[in-house]
Amino acid sequence: MKRNPLILFFVAAIVAVMLFTGIRVARNNRAGNSGKGQLIGNLAPDFDLQTLDGKDVKLSDLRGKAVLLNFWATYCGPCKVEMPWFVELQKEYGPQGFQIIGVAMDDASTEDIAKFAKDMGVNYPILLGKESVGESYGGVSVLPTTFFVDRDGKVIAREFGLQSRSVFVDHIKKALSQGQAVQARR
Amino acid sequence: MKILLASSLCLMSVWAWAQDNPGPQTSVVKMAPVATVTAVQGKPATVSLLFRVANGYHINSNQPKAEYLIPTVLKVEATTDIVIRKTTYPEGKDMSFAFAPDEKLNVYTGDFKIDVLVRPLMSVQTGKYVVRGTLKYQACDNQACYPPKQLPVSFDVKIAKAAAPPHRNPAQSPDVHQ
Repeated sequence: MKRNPLILFFVAAIVAVMLFTGIRVARNNRAGNSGKGQLIGNLAPDFDLQTLDGKDVKLSDLRGKAVLLNFWATYCGPCKVEMPWFVELQKEYGPQGFQIIGVAMDDASTEDIAKFAKDMGVNYPILLGKESVGESYGGVSVLPTTFFVDRDGKVIAREFGLQSRSVFVDHIKKALSQGQAVQARR
Repeated sequence: MKILLASSLCLMSVWAWAQDNPGPQTSVVKMAPVATVTAVQGKPATVSLLFRVANGYHINSNQPKAEYLIPTVLKVEATTDIVIRKTTYPEGKDMSFAFAPDEKLNVYTGDFKIDVLVRPLMSVQTGKYVVRGTLKYQACDNQACYPPKQLPVSFDVKIAKAAAPPHRNPAQSPDVHQ
């Protein structure tokens, strides 16, 4: 049986790519990134982090609210673009039971983070992130990374990098409308 | 045809996998191999280190203009016998990006070179020495930024013997120190 060498080459290339990718993914999983991809549809990993003024915030205390969890850093330009939108969205959807939480994944000092947040007019809590919290969210290797949590505390969506404002609005509306807390009200 | 269809499905699954593992999969900055630099005892020599920023990414220059940005910094661990005199960074390019079209950031893209001036002590033994360090950088693309990274850097310096200084004193008898 005669085989087309071009097809054989193509198949061999595909197998090589898959092997390479598989090895990389296995390595990543061994490095503790196994949580990636398993977050959506499951309870958002709980954490207890401090605000810029030293208060403790526990994610599970926000159960009943839709939460936008934004991992960001002061050195991140795309994160700066989103912040004014978040300020507006907090004002617009806050009365419906929506809360934005910013988690600063930064080496900058608390003072610098606070100054940055003040300059940006941030009207939602900024928490001082920890590596362990980032890991529990699959390893925050891209900034910004944003998670949307419904009123039951389940992750319903995740976005890597800068998105359009309308993407946030869609996820916020979905997070506000989902969960048993919403069903009970109806 | 079936093979092509199966291959396309495989490619799609690889793509789906990649969606779950965003960000650069390898180092955004790589260093080109450096040829051994020969330096004479007591005399300075320049070592040029060539770096390449992966296509589609940028890193801040050593003098980024905006506040809060993390500069690119080369830290070279001085050995006891070879002194690091000076590190010279290239000027960055002023560029604006999709996430901030009105703002100019001073960045390195593509290839850039950092010069390191080394000076072996007069007392250093001749031979080959490995000098190590790290390049700290923080990369972004048009959509996102990535946490700061440290790229290990190393280069070899071969120390050659300095030429004997000219004699100022009149010749002495070979047995004068015996």
